[in-house]
Amino acid sequence: MTATERNETNPDRNAAASPPEPGPRALRRLVIFGGLCYAGALAAPAASFVLAPTKSAGSAGARWIRVARLVDLPERVPRRLQIIADRRDAFTLTRDELLGSIWVLRSGDAVRALSAVCPHLGCSIDLAADHQGFACPCHASRFGLDGAAVAGPSPRDLDPLATRLVDGWIEIDFRRYRQGIAERREVPT
Amino acid sequence: MSRLGDWLDERAGHRALLRAALDEPIPGGARWAYVWGSALTLSLVVQAITGWLLMSAYAPSATTAWASVAHISHGISGGWVIRGLHHFGAQAMIVLLAAHLMQTALLGAYRRPRELNWYFGLALLGTTLGFALTGYLLPWDQKGYWATRVATSIVGTIPLVGGSLQRILVGGAEYGHLTLTHFYALHVGVLPAVTALLVAIHVALFRRHGITAPVTADRQKVDLFYPKQVFKDLVVGLAVLLVLFALTAHEHGAPLDAPADPASDYPARPEWYFLALFQLLKWFKGSLEPVGAVGIPLLVLGYLVALPLLDRGPDRSIKARARFLAPLAIFGLVAGLLTVQSRHADATDEAYQRARALADSRAARAVVLAGRGVPPEGPLAMLRDDPEDRGRALFTQHCVACHRLGDLVPEGSKAAAPDLTGYGTTTWIDGLLDNPDSTRWFGGTAFKGMMPSVVHPPADPEVAAIWRPMSAADQEATATFLDAEARGTGGKGLPGEALVRRRCTACHRLDGATDDDASLAPELRGWASPAWIEAQIEDPGSGKTYSKGATAKDLEGHMPAFAATISPADRKTLALWVATRGRATEVR
Repeated sequence: MTATERNETNPDRNAAASPPEPGPRALRRLVIFGGLCYAGALAAPAASFVLAPTKSAGSAGARWIRVARLVDLPERVPRRLQIIADRRDAFTLTRDELLGSIWVLRSGDAVRALSAVCPHLGCSIDLAADHQGFACPCHASRFGLDGAAVAGPSPRDLDPLATRLVDGWIEIDFRRYRQGIAERREVPT
Repeated sequence: MSRLGDWLDERAGHRALLRAALDEPIPGGARWAYVWGSALTLSLVVQAITGWLLMSAYAPSATTAWASVAHISHGISGGWVIRGLHHFGAQAMIVLLAAHLMQTALLGAYRRPRELNWYFGLALLGTTLGFALTGYLLPWDQKGYWATRVATSIVGTIPLVGGSLQRILVGGAEYGHLTLTHFYALHVGVLPAVTALLVAIHVALFRRHGITAPVTADRQKVDLFYPKQVFKDLVVGLAVLLVLFALTAHEHGAPLDAPADPASDYPARPEWYFLALFQLLKWFKGSLEPVGAVGIPLLVLGYLVALPLLDRGPDRSIKARARFLAPLAIFGLVAGLLTVQSRHADATDEAYQRARALADSRAARAVVLAGRGVPPEGPLAMLRDDPEDRGRALFTQHCVACHRLGDLVPEGSKAAAPDLTGYGTTTWIDGLLDNPDSTRWFGGTAFKGMMPSVVHPPADPEVAAIWRPMSAADQEATATFLDAEARGTGGKGLPGEALVRRRCTACHRLDGATDDDASLAPELRGWASPAWIEAQIEDPGSGKTYSKGATAKDLEGHMPAFAATISPADRKTLALWVATRGRATEVR
């Protein structure tokens, strides 16, 4: 129904046909100001709520997690190991949850650990078909067994993770890094 | 700016729309009486915005709902403000609805030709109450859970279809995941869509018929909706928002009760605007219950529906319509009285107040525990595994018949066994060394008279002749050593250890060694530590604490073994609770 039709059915509406009275300028300004106050009062806590995930407590520091016994690892054969530890997901605390996986390569007593997260866009890195390096199944980045980027779109080498030996156990300092950038920057918790 | 506006207007025609919306003429002029509809619309906007934000952090399932709401309130910055605004905003909607209904009734705005709009208004009252009922459950806390059980049980009493209707609402026979997802779907999907549609029709019908000015108004005076009426609407809207912020700040957000616990006894009460209905149920008992639960609310609704059909006289003045408005006034008055009566009954009911206080302390404890993370099994598992809560429950069930600990006192205050208030602390040990046969220590047990005081000479004159009191310094050193053993930090190498070895091992064991193998005195290494208490609970005669002789049949009133009655995990929890709780209740 259009405005004209409505006005015909309701004699009170004839006032609307004449040019509208603008009303006192000060009052209109006051109304706009009040409206902005109302919106602002709501927007402030809303913004705080929405932006909450951008706040971080900074790096949690080293987080050493046991992954395997040294003697169980074969020499010079890359092995994929699971990272199992307690996980705090917003409000849920899960004991011994799968957090992710890493690649480890043993030579003698030395163990090299690489994050299995592709530095390009975060897909999970697999061993290349020829077993001579690592490959990303998403965008075909290739890495050497030492983690060096050799082909494909990855902006940097695979992220190395610190390792240490405690009582014959390999422990990994499990960290996450941002993807898609050449610089290696840790994701703060 | 204006060129962009021209470009847009040529294509969208938004200026005409805006003019049509703002230049609504108001015969008789702008009035404060007309603000309620706009105030409700503004409140609805607040509910929508805060609701969307809450949706972004809420996880509707029986194991996650409570935890996610606790996280919103205590973990996300600004979360408590958003929840507070949503919670109090819902209540503001009820108050504003009542005001809007009253304004409509007093002005006779339900009369021909506006009957349809009155009905759409009533439908909106229905959806608002629907929002309240469904939203109340979503935190899955005690309050919402029990209120929903009551509300859905009322649905279940409806003849013929009640049982099926209840199962559809609840999502089966049990309250759980599907109850939450059903209520959530209603609250954030169905009801908002229906409400938006109803509001659109309500406003369109209102614009078709225009405002109903008071009969006394000068209809020659015409204001436009903008800015005079908008100003008044906005002032009230801002005042409402201010009240919401004030209430939120005062209560620090919305209340959150302990997690829903079907095994608990919870003093369930509905939200204040349902208290009248709640109280009504107390008046209609037994077979009359459906009258109070369904009959009377239907009667009130029936009258509201019939009102525009009854009130058809030519005179719209309040005086001429008094007989039609009187029932509304009576409904309001009775509802008010019932609400006051319900409040008064609770305020003067000590049992209710106690139950409420207990529920509040459980809620506070649950929030503290949730801060450390809720297990995937949900908040009930979290509470069940809470050493504080569980330990207290186990102590109440198994120990308080003989032992006192702090505010847990044996029936008739007759403790047969040592008082564990302050157990393991130097104060407790000092008291024991002074006067072991006091009823606070071993005076009520089978071991009375077995341990001599270190300061009071023994009764036997022969023994008294060779007896020497312990110096205050030695006593302090002994207590310090035992206190360290009880803490679990170990007293090895402390000066008190040598004293104990010299003076106490005549009867007591230390690392299993004693001068008197027949003595019933307990092991002092690790005494009163969680591990020692755990061993004691499992079997007091195992030798780890007391020797086998201490649990002999003829030794009446010794502590029984709980190996068969308390599970290993519970024994650990209980031992830890006794150790920490005992220490926390030290009386200096």
